[in-house]
Amino acid sequence: MILRNLATRGAGRPWVAELITLIVLFLCPLVLPLLGVGADMASRILIWGLFGLGFDILFGFTGLLSFGQAAFFGVGGFVSAFLLTQTGMTNVVLALFIGTLVAMVAGALVGFFTLRRSGIYFAMITLAFAEMFHFLELSPLSNWTGGENGLTGVPTPTLGLGSWAVELQSGWQMFGFIAVFFFIGYVIAHRIVLSPFGQVLTALRDNSPRALATGHSVRKYKLAAFVIAAGFGGIAGGLLGVLQSYMPPDALAFHTSGQLVMQSVIGGAGTLFGPLLGAGVWLGLRDSLQDFPTIAPAWKLILGVVFVVLITVFRQGLLGAVKTLFTPRRVATEPDVAELSAEVTRRHAVAGVPDAQLREDEVPDYAFHADTPHRRAKGLDITPKAADKGMPALECRNLTKRYGGLTANEGITLSIPEGQLRGIIGPNGAGKSTFFKMLAGEVAPTEGEIFLHGANITGLGVTAVSQLGMSKSYQINQLFAKLTVAQNLAIPVLARIRGEFRPDMLTSLHGVPGLHGQIEATLEMVNLLERADVPVTELAYGEKRRLEIGLALANAPNVLLLDEPLAGMSPRERADTVQLLKQIRAGRTLVVVEHDMDAMFELAEYISVLQEGRLLAEGTPEEIKGDQRVQDAYLGGMEEV
Amino acid sequence: MSLLEIEGINSYYGDSHVLFDVDMHVDEHEVVALLGRNGAGKSTTLKSVVGAVKPHNGTIRFDGNDIRGLPPYEIAQRGIQLVPEERRIFGSLNVEENLQLASLSAENAWPLERIYEYFPRLKERRRSRGTDLSGGEQQMLAIARALVRDARLILLDEPFEGLAPIIVQDLLADTRQLAEEGRTIVIVEQNVAAALSIAQRCYILNNGHVVYEGTPAELHADPQIMHEYLGV
Amino acid sequence: MPSLPLFLSQLFNGLALGLLLALISAGLTVIYGTLGVLNLAHGALFMVGAYAGFVAMEHTGSFVLAMVGGMAGALIVGLLMERIIIRYFYQRPAEDQILVTFGIGIIITEAVRLGFGGISQRVAVPEWGQGITKLGFLFYPTYRIEVMVIVAVVLLLLYLILYRTRIGMIVRAGIEDSLMVNMLGINVYRVFLLVFGIGAMTAGFAGIINAPIVAVTPDMGEAILVQSFVVIVIGGVGSFPGAVVGGIIAGEIVSLTSMFNPAYSHVMLFAVMALLLAVRPQGLFGIEGRE
Repeated sequence: MILRNLATRGAGRPWVAELITLIVLFLCPLVLPLLGVGADMASRILIWGLFGLGFDILFGFTGLLSFGQAAFFGVGGFVSAFLLTQTGMTNVVLALFIGTLVAMVAGALVGFFTLRRSGIYFAMITLAFAEMFHFLELSPLSNWTGGENGLTGVPTPTLGLGSWAVELQSGWQMFGFIAVFFFIGYVIAHRIVLSPFGQVLTALRDNSPRALATGHSVRKYKLAAFVIAAGFGGIAGGLLGVLQSYMPPDALAFHTSGQLVMQSVIGGAGTLFGPLLGAGVWLGLRDSLQDFPTIAPAWKLILGVVFVVLITVFRQGLLGAVKTLFTPRRVATEPDVAELSAEVTRRHAVAGVPDAQLREDEVPDYAFHADTPHRRAKGLDITPKAADKGMPALECRNLTKRYGGLTANEGITLSIPEGQLRGIIGPNGAGKSTFFKMLAGEVAPTEGEIFLHGANITGLGVTAVSQLGMSKSYQINQLFAKLTVAQNLAIPVLARIRGEFRPDMLTSLHGVPGLHGQIEATLEMVNLLERADVPVTELAYGEKRRLEIGLALANAPNVLLLDEPLAGMSPRERADTVQLLKQIRAGRTLVVVEHDMDAMFELAEYISVLQEGRLLAEGTPEEIKGDQRVQDAYLGGMEEV
Repeated sequence: MSLLEIEGINSYYGDSHVLFDVDMHVDEHEVVALLGRNGAGKSTTLKSVVGAVKPHNGTIRFDGNDIRGLPPYEIAQRGIQLVPEERRIFGSLNVEENLQLASLSAENAWPLERIYEYFPRLKERRRSRGTDLSGGEQQMLAIARALVRDARLILLDEPFEGLAPIIVQDLLADTRQLAEEGRTIVIVEQNVAAALSIAQRCYILNNGHVVYEGTPAELHADPQIMHEYLGV
Repeated sequence: MPSLPLFLSQLFNGLALGLLLALISAGLTVIYGTLGVLNLAHGALFMVGAYAGFVAMEHTGSFVLAMVGGMAGALIVGLLMERIIIRYFYQRPAEDQILVTFGIGIIITEAVRLGFGGISQRVAVPEWGQGITKLGFLFYPTYRIEVMVIVAVVLLLLYLILYRTRIGMIVRAGIEDSLMVNMLGINVYRVFLLVFGIGAMTAGFAGIINAPIVAVTPDMGEAILVQSFVVIVIGGVGSFPGAVVGGIIAGEIVSLTSMFNPAYSHVMLFAVMALLLAVRPQGLFGIEGRE
């Protein structure tokens, strides 16, 4: 089975888009004058487009809305301009390069502070830092930056050496110089977005906590994206200084950051070309309205209105709108099938709901049949790591969690042998979810320890636990909403193969060894092979649940924690999922929390019962059913009242 | 005509299907218990009634009027009050302010003195902030908020959860008194014994379906049903 | 070492600036706490207040009417914002809310620039504010002292409304748990509108009352916006006391730093914010984990 469209953008032939871009850039000096676009404006649009490439990686692909990118635009610009005007440096390219590097260092520093928060805090704090840089430029550092006057006399670049040196003219020659940088920047940005690193960024945008739980170091990826965006800002700023022969102080102003944001949203975030288009719209509109003095001052107002309308109605921006026009919308298909499971029929009889008609020919290919023999897990890649015989797969000792005066769990000690399917049940308030969170590493215990195959994992956190071979699937679907099924599964696999962080920004996603095989094997296990390229938003609920389990399976865990896998399912879906769980348990240890007692007793080999935060009883399903203490726990001691 | 009529509702959390064609009714002055293991959909049913969850179809009628789809504040103004599972006391307000807030939109709000007669403990703690109250006191306050509004229908969501047995006995006595005074109550409880001791009728939910309707006596007489849907 | 008179005068300056920042930030933070929306157009509302007051002043010559006009102008614009656009964004992700309020801020600023031009306007200091007052050994412009007093009184008024009235109680409960307020029969959407309106009005009032001290330009809201962000980060998002304390601290930082090195006065403010972020990310009065 061939997996198409694994990466967010067209797979396999990135150079096509790059070639087209190159050709278009070549054609610009020929075509644009015919449209009334001058070289200076074209150059400015490219500079903003270059600035926006980095911002799009940060915002469009990683989901971090920064209102402070002007800081790096300014740092890059002023360092280059300073080198070229105040020191003796004549090599423009070298100065630009140094400026970009310094901007990236600034990015790392600012990122350290700002990435500690997210959402609105992040937006506010990036804005504040940019203003700080702005103030630094204006006053304390004005000896170096020219303060309110900026730095004048930035030289034009000279190409060649000695007697063959040619000084670039302003106009289309300068455009050419800038276009080279834009093209290189585009290729780099394009490769980043197509790389495994880039895929992880999109996972951060869609569901950061899940990306963390799958084994990625979210902090490091975010910082890397932030530094990349700073770098693009730095080179763009430097080029502005060269273009104008002057580095203006308002490069660091809030409105510069604001303009970048507006342009990117208007053009379309997450497309790489969106900011370029937005810049074209912005500068184009301002320019073309100059001829109409009465409405000319209203150009920014018009852009503001366009911006607000787009956010309200067409969040994807202009390019996004174009894309939606050309992709057919597929409707979520809910398999409309009759009940198969005898179990379900019995339940319905008790409830008084009439039997549904059983019509086997209505069952689509990809649905399970309740009584087909168990399929063996295909695909060697999925085989979990071998472990010592005799060592329990998962063990906890005296596990306790207190929140202030409230004790959620107290002294829980239990041991789960290799290969067992353990059920955890308990009445409301038993502390099951807190217990499960501690096992998964989401919450650190107040007391007690947890051992995974003998290794102490207490307090290591979800990412480390995931890398060590234990995964969790969630009660409420935690999927990567804007990706396809196969792209979703790629995320945990990438963590397994590449570890918690790898800056492999320029390699191809398809070059990752074992990626396709692992994804295919997982798709087969959860029976979503035919749905591999379907966006998550178009899946039926049962399919999403299967994907949810698939995400936990994909990085080949030895131990799988399943939090209410049957939650929100119809009776038919429940029967299917029970079969699925029976199949995936081969060679793995499963721990399941469930309220569906019928399913639990069908699945579990051994059951632990929690009550009021403590372990009440353990035993086989029969033993538990017959245990009066357990009955009392659920029924609340009927005799007492 | 019942005070509350629920017909064929299907409720979802996102696209997680939680309630499947649920039918239920509550007559005036009745106490109805809604039982089932957790995850069965009991809380969701109550939330669907008060508008915190919007069912996709079906009807919910209160006093003959359709209320499905109305915003929560309108439903509350008609006389239905939810006492939520997490209690949701306003921690930054004191006891008296919590009660005052609750009484603001009520037509026949109880004078605070009457509430304090009912719950003397709350009178003692009237100036204490919500965050300083014990679990039992918070539950008392949550129920008092419904009372102060003179609600025609009180929905109690797991009122005894996480409370010591002694407190549960006290609260049970208070709730029994409310029932004896003729208040219409729906009580969701995992503590089956407690719930059945005050209810006249009960429903059992399992995996989002209504699987049983009967009186406590009938349920007691059918231990198989109890073990199947409530026990293990 | 700076002299005592200089120190005291800067302390006083800092208090003046701080109180103003406190007033603006209080509106911003309560709007966020109640509605969950960070209003990037708040600075624009401040500016609208200054311009509306300016217009009222031009037509009536009375500064008192100018103050009323400033509040009214900002209130109207704020209510329009909420009703036409923002209320449809309550369920949308935070980024969309930030972007749309930012866009609205741009629209408002540009509309004013279109209407009044980019040159700065002057609002004259009212007669009862002219001259210098002697406080001990300190000589201070009378108007600035009056502004401080007025702003302090308004802050006190806001405090009383928030903590001593019924509607304030509803707002405080709404900041904590607006769904529960909803379930207790109170139309929270009207509360949102009210909070937004009051927030806009206070921003507008700050704008007009500050107008005689500064140049009135369409871009005057921008700097104020950034500073109020710093204030609410320091004070804790969603906290009224945080905004007041944070505002005064911010004012003093700027003012006292300028005693030693005027170039670094604003930079120091951001540096303090950065430090606080590293040490206590939720701010002075903020609740941990609340984003």
